[in-house]
Order: sequence, then C-alpha cells, then structure tokens
Amino acid sequence: MNKAIVLATAALTLAACAPAGSQQPVANGKKEISFLVFETPNLTPEYWDAAIKRVTDKHPDIAVKKLVAPSAGERNAYAKQLLASGQLPDVMQAIAPSGLAESGNLYAWSKEELKNYAHPRSNPLGGKIYQLPYNSQPTPLVYYNKKLFAEAGVDAPPKTYAELLDVSARLKAKGINPFVVGGGGKDAFAAGYIWIALVGADVYARQPDFLVKRRAGQVRFGDPAFVKATQKFADLVGKGYVDKAGLSRDYPSTEKAFLDGKGAMYPMGSWFAAAADAGADAGKPPFEIGVFAWPTDDGQVVVPSYTGGGPIVNARSRNLEAARTFALEFNQDAANNDVLVQSDAAIIAINGYRPPPMGPVYNATLEVFKAGKAVNAFTVETGDDSLLPGVGDKVFALAQEIIAGKTDGAAAAKALDAEWVKAGGR
Amino acid sequence: MFLDKRAAARTAAVPLQRLTYLLSFVAPGVLVYACFVLAPILLSFGYSLTDASLFATRTRFVGPDNYLRLLADPSFLTSLKVTTILTLIIVIVPNVAGVGVAVLLDRAGWLYRALRSVFFVPVVLSSVVVSVVWMAMLQDEGLINRLLGIRVGWLSDPDLALYSIGFIISWQMLGFCSVVYLAALQGVPQSLHEAAAIDGAGSWTRFRKVTWPLLAPALTTNTVMLLITGFKAYDHIQVLTAGGPGLGTTATVAFNVIQVGFTANRTGESSAMAILMLVIVATVSAVALRLLNRREVDL
Amino acid sequence: MKWLRPLVSIVVAGAFFLPLYLVVANVFKHGPDITASPAAPPIPPTLDNLTQALTRPDHLFWNGLINSVSVTLLSIVILTVVSAMLGHYICRTPSRFARITLLVLLAGLMIPPQVILVPVTQVLNLTGLMGTISGLVLFNVGYYVPFGVFVFSGFIRAIPVELEQAASIDGAGPFGTFWRVVFPLLRPATASVLIFLGVWIWNDFLNPLIILGPAGGTTVTVGVYRALGQFQRDYGDMFGLMVLSALPILIFYFALQKHFVKGLTGGAIKG
Repeated sequence: MNKAIVLATAALTLAACAPAGSQQPVANGKKEISFLVFETPNLTPEYWDAAIKRVTDKHPDIAVKKLVAPSAGERNAYAKQLLASGQLPDVMQAIAPSGLAESGNLYAWSKEELKNYAHPRSNPLGGKIYQLPYNSQPTPLVYYNKKLFAEAGVDAPPKTYAELLDVSARLKAKGINPFVVGGGGKDAFAAGYIWIALVGADVYARQPDFLVKRRAGQVRFGDPAFVKATQKFADLVGKGYVDKAGLSRDYPSTEKAFLDGKGAMYPMGSWFAAAADAGADAGKPPFEIGVFAWPTDDGQVVVPSYTGGGPIVNARSRNLEAARTFALEFNQDAANNDVLVQSDAAIIAINGYRPPPMGPVYNATLEVFKAGKAVNAFTVETGDDSLLPGVGDKVFALAQEIIAGKTDGAAAAKALDAEWVKAGGR
Repeated sequence: MFLDKRAAARTAAVPLQRLTYLLSFVAPGVLVYACFVLAPILLSFGYSLTDASLFATRTRFVGPDNYLRLLADPSFLTSLKVTTILTLIIVIVPNVAGVGVAVLLDRAGWLYRALRSVFFVPVVLSSVVVSVVWMAMLQDEGLINRLLGIRVGWLSDPDLALYSIGFIISWQMLGFCSVVYLAALQGVPQSLHEAAAIDGAGSWTRFRKVTWPLLAPALTTNTVMLLITGFKAYDHIQVLTAGGPGLGTTATVAFNVIQVGFTANRTGESSAMAILMLVIVATVSAVALRLLNRREVDL
Repeated sequence: MKWLRPLVSIVVAGAFFLPLYLVVANVFKHGPDITASPAAPPIPPTLDNLTQALTRPDHLFWNGLINSVSVTLLSIVILTVVSAMLGHYICRTPSRFARITLLVLLAGLMIPPQVILVPVTQVLNLTGLMGTISGLVLFNVGYYVPFGVFVFSGFIRAIPVELEQAASIDGAGPFGTFWRVVFPLLRPATASVLIFLGVWIWNDFLNPLIILGPAGGTTVTVGVYRALGQFQRDYGDMFGLMVLSALPILIFYFALQKHFVKGLTGGAIKG
C-alpha cells in the first residue's frame, strides 16, 4: 500500500513538472514568447491559432505559447492580475496599456516601427505609443432593425437627438422595445454603450480633450455638460425606452436578443457588423440591419471611435526582439487582417491595406465612420486621455444603476467624481 | 541502570530518533502552513499599513490610514452590509430547510435512499457549473419567468440580485445540511420516541421535545460550515453578477478583496480589507461557536 | 395517509432537482432547441454537444482534466500523509508547542482564501513556483492541512497508546510504528479527508484561476468559466462542457456515497 502511494506520488510529481496545456520551455534554439488573447463569439480559438500560425510559418525561430484570458470583458483586469502575480505575458492583444505602462512594464514603439500605420499617434501615454493602432472601431454606432422601424412608420434613421426621441416614442407606441442593452453576469460593459454614445456626442464633440483636462483637475464629471449627457441617458430609461431585462443578459445573450428581434435599436461597437452580416448569410436574422451614428442635438455627425487594438509588448520580456517581431508581423499580416475584418468587422488603419469584399452592414458601418467626425469613445480610451485604472468598471456599474432606474445624471456624475478621487485622481 | 544492552542502545539513539521524528512528522506540515498561511497573513498585515499599489513607483508607510479610510468609505460599509445579508441567508435557509428535508426523508427504502442522493448532488458540483445553470434559468426571459408567467428581474434588479445569489448558494448547500441532520436523526434512540408516544405526545411535540434537542451537534456543524461558506463566497458572485448590477449590490468583502487587490491593484487597500475581514470572521465564528456549544451542553 | 410522505418527498425533490434536470435534458438537444423549449425532454437525443466539447481543437477539456486530476490527486495524497503525521504528533505529545500548534492550526480552519491570496502570489513568485502545478499543490496543502489535522487527531485520540508502545518495544522506529500500526486503523479518517478535500480541490475556482494562471494551464472548473465568453450563443456547447466537467466528480460521488455520509457525520456526532 505504501509503496503504491509513493510510486503514484512520484509519477504525479513528474507529471506536474509540465502541466497539460502548457508548452515546454525553449528547446532547439526557438525563442519562446507568450501571447495573451481573448475569445468571443467572433474570435474563436480556431481564429487565433490560425492567425498565430501564419506568423510562425514565416518566422520558424519563434515559438508562441498562446494564453487565453478568462473572458473578453475582463481581459484588462486579467492582464493586471498577471502583472500583480509576476506573470505578465510577452505580447498581449488589445489590452489597455494604462495601468501597465506607468511602471515601465511596456515597450514603447519607435517611429520607424509605426511608419505603416495610418494614425501613428493614437492614444499616446506620456507621449509614447504602446499599443499598435491598427484597428479603428466606432464605439458605438446604433444598429437598427429596419423591419421594426418600418412597422412603427419610421422610414429614415434619426439625424438629430430630437428625432431620436420621436422615433423611440413611435416604437414604444407600437409595443416595440426601442433599445436593446446588456450588462449581466460578468459583462457589465454591455450596459454602457448608450452612455458612451451620449458622452461622445454631447461632451467630446465640443471638448475632445475632456479627460485630459479631468486628469489635470480642470474639469469634473459634475460639470453641466457631462451631467446633461448623463441625464439624457437617465431620461431614456425613465421614458421606458431602455429594456431593463438587459441587465440579466451577458454580452453574447444581448447580441442574440437583438438578432431575435427583441428591440429595434442596438447601440454597439462596429464589431457587431461581422455578426450581422454572418447572420444574413446563414439565413437569419430575418430582417435587414441598418446603422446610424448617435445623433447630436444639432445634427452634426459625430462618431466616437477608438483606433488601437493591437498588441502591446512586455518591456521586460526575455525574448524582447522576438516579441516585437511577432507583434508587428501578427498585426500587419494581410491575411490575418483579412480574417479579422471578416470575423470582427475591423476597419484596418494600416497604409495600403485593402479589405476583402464585405457584407452590407459592414459597408454601411464604413460609410458612417468616414462621414462623421471622430472623437474618443468614453471608457475605451487607453492613453493620457483615458480614465484612471479601475474607474472604467465603475462607469459600467453606474450605467447598470441608471438602467435599473436607481440613479440620475447628477448623482451618477457625483459618484463618478468620488470614484475618480479614490483611484488617485484629483 | 539499563537492564540489557538493547535498551541501552535504544536510549542512546533516542535524541537522534526524536529529531528524525520531529523533522519528518512535524516539520513538513508546520512549514507549509507557516509559508502559505501564516506568513501571508503577516505580509497582508504589513501591506495594509502601506500605500502599496502596482502603479505607485514608491511604497510608503501610511500607518492606519487605509483602515481609517475604509471604515469611512461608503462602498466598504455597503460591502459589509452585503456580506451580512448574504451570510445570514446562507446560514438560515439551508439549515431550516435541511431539517425539514431530513425529517421528510428519514425513512428506509429505495425511494428515500435515491431521493437523499439527489439532494446531495449539488454539493459535489462546482459552484461555477451551478451558477451557470441558474443564470440561464433566472434570466429575464429564462425558464423560471416563463414557467411562472412573470417578468421578475431575479438577477437584473439591483434590489433582488443579492437574494437570488443567497438562494442559489442555499440550494447548493441544502443537501449538505440535510445529510448531517439525517445522521443525527438516525442517532436518536427509538426507545425515546416510543416512551414519548406512550406518554401521549403527538408527532410535533415529539419533534420539539425529543428530536430537536438531540440535533444540536448537527446544528453546530452545519452553522459553522455555512458561516464559512457565506464569508468566502466568490465563485457564484463572479459568475452571476460580478458584484453588480449597479455599484456593489452583490459585492461582499471577500469579493472586493479580490477586485481591489487583483484588478485595481491597490494592494495596500485590499490588504487592509483582508485583515478587517479576518477579524470579522474570527469574531463571528468565535461568538457563534460559543453560543452553539453552550446550547449543546445545556441540552 | 401513508402515501403522503412519498408524494411530498417526490414533489419536493422534483422541484429541487429542476435545474439538474435541465442540464441533463438539454445537453442532449441542439443549441437552438434549448432556447426554444428548455423544459422539453430531448427527443430525439443528440450526442453532438458532448462530442464537440471532447474534440475542441484547443483540447480545453482534456488539458483541464489532466490538470484537475494531477492537482487534486497530488494535493490529497500529500495532505493525507502530512496531516496524519502532524496529527499524530499533536495527539501524542503533551508539550506546550504541540498545544499551541493545534490552536494555530484550528484558527486556520476559518480563514477565507481571499485574505491570503495576494501575498501568497508573492511567496510563490519568490520561489519561482507561480503558474506551476507544484505551486498550486503546495498552496492547497498549506491551506487544507488544518482540516486534515482536525480530522486525523480526532481519530488518533481514539487509538490506544499501548498499541504503539507495544510496537516500539518490538523494535519498530517511529515511522514503522505509525505506518504499520496506527495508519491502517485510521481508514475512516483517511476516507473522509480524501473525499472532502478531493471534492473541494477539484471544484476550486479562485485558486487555480490566480495561481495557475493562463501559463500553467487550466483546470476543468476554470475551463468552464473560460468557455462562457465564447459559447453563450450556443447553449448546447456550453452544457456539453459543463456535463463533462461534472462527470468525474459525480462518478466519484456515486461510487463512494456511503463514505461521504459517514465522513460528514462521524464528525458531527462526535461534535
């Protein structure tokens, strides 16, 4: 009995030296780097594996160990957790550099390395660029169900905010839920898109550097412009235009709800266009999807968006050279980007890149993006103009409160200022 | 002095033997415990007196600042309230229901044996699986609302979410409590029941005067187990609501320790929270144990 | 009225069991059918969900299974050995150190892991064990050793010292005495420890999430959580993975049912 136990323990101990699912450390001259990714209904494990392989095929001396964050919405938190436990990966995809760069953990890209990018100065942190800015994502645009709009007698998307209110009223009169939102489980971010749109349209349009000023203590969330925008959100909820059931839906369920026709309008990031077009191919949804920019009071077309989304590199990586090479290649590989466009509706901001032929919703998204004035997307910024670490989560929590009807514009703004101070701001 | 050479040899070898004994029997357990439990507690305490954070370039000693700030912070006080409510639900509901189920199923036969197994299955499932299943059922358009024909926001209403989580955890722990009570029930001598019946006691009186007092040790075990479960609840909260909906409506102290420590990375603050949590858990457990033990002794 | 008790029992158990019925029924249905009619029985049944989960290209289930099994087995075997021996010392030695050790250990029974996780990651970092299975196993051992000692010392107390003294007179050293004389008599305690710690460690979510991290691989429990983000469009895949992840522990439970109950209640009655 004892011998059996000893033998079993020894065997298991040996097995424990290399846990299943982790690759063996460097052998035969390959430089191993770890690459943190995240999975969504669009970005499947197969997508990542194929994309990684395209790069390692061209650089056989690099071995990539793929790490997967536990969820897309928490990937930034997860990266920080890894930093806290001393396991920061070598390359990380679409992780916000703020919170990581400050203590010198990230590699700053040189001008030479950024020469292919259309907007090389996106999201600077302390003047330096840490995240390769290759993907422009309007966040959010308003996708809408053309069939439900027609049922309510609306034949064109609203151009001003007043028109939006009118459209919502008409939808509600027909018993159609105007806005589909999310925010359940761990996907609290899905509750925020209306607020993000309002801040973009009403605050950033006139003060594009609002958060920079906030960091300097020159403005506060409690200022009239921000409060007014937030109050609009609370008013929409108050009028019953926002479906509270969304607070029980996590992100994939929210998307499903819109595609199942549970609401007419779906404020969402442009990545939704991929699902929309894919659905059309598969025979569902049984309605056409249109898109418009969240309207401002005066009709000026403003599109909150974020250009970034690329990899960031651990400055203290053991194979820094390999990490940088991999990151750049992964990011600029045309085939990779084609797949990304098709699976995630990316708008690639790399010079000379031509997207493959895409479906109607993607094309409509692209049109709106080009026609509007680009401003920052509240909570999505990652540079010197971003929220302090941890405050983004509070924004989503407050959005949940607003949707639940528990707070209004002034109170939410005040709470946000309090959280800002707690996070170390002025 | 020694009766034979063997005894002499043994005595001479005793110090070395004693040392071997201590090293192999005592040292491993004590060392691992010291490294992974005691030392971290001390480290936690140490951090709680600093402003350590991942973004700070220097760490400074700030004394009781973190504690004072926490005790004045409304969101910490909310987390205390949330923890209290959740723990109360978890301690009371499965305990009470467990007695009921135990009494109900305290009969011989294959049916009751099978049903007893059924109740225990959730206990051995992982909380993540349990949470995912319940989340699907409690969505606003999920099965429960559809079956009952209502539209209640079990997990989306900030006022209800905490109670839903409490219910789900209670559901998972019910089997545990009923098994413990069943064993205690089976320890009640039949003769006592018979004597009481002869004296004319009805079944409810018999339960109150004969059965219930003998369940006291089981009550202690269950209550302690449920207290610990309530205090350290994390998995369910993370999967079901991630502390929301809204600002911290379902965030217990234990949950916030992880959020602030690993997400917002304010190590000093989270360590202070952790130490406060330790103090609370120790106090409540000590008080509960004293009350329960006294009850056992009295009976 | 004799039919009342069975009837009430079945109704109550049925209501209680509803969520589990849902999982079992829906894992054999195609995704769209699940959302359409979740309560309906699976007719005709399909094994697609299960095979999908088993054949994922990233081997999420299999890797998770291997990791879960190795972490759990290693932890409970080491824990049994270590806590039995430590419990023996505490029981048999009347010194003050032994008494203090017992108190300090018992205090550790109630500590929620969140209190110590952040510093533990630093300890593990220092020793280079972060993200390794051995790191997680060591943490489990340290954290659960109070429970093991608690169970074992209770049982060892009931074993007469004379047995050990007799063995030592016959020339057996402390090891021999313990392993050949005492330990075989501790079978119920060993069973309790193996079972309870086995279930707790297998189902553990927070510790493997943080200590193993993405670099050390996932356990089967963390794997279910990870799949949440990808899968929810199709409940079928999700349920397939969940059923598979629960299967090992369910088999373990049904095979050892009697011992579970005995383990739980042995302590309860002794108080």
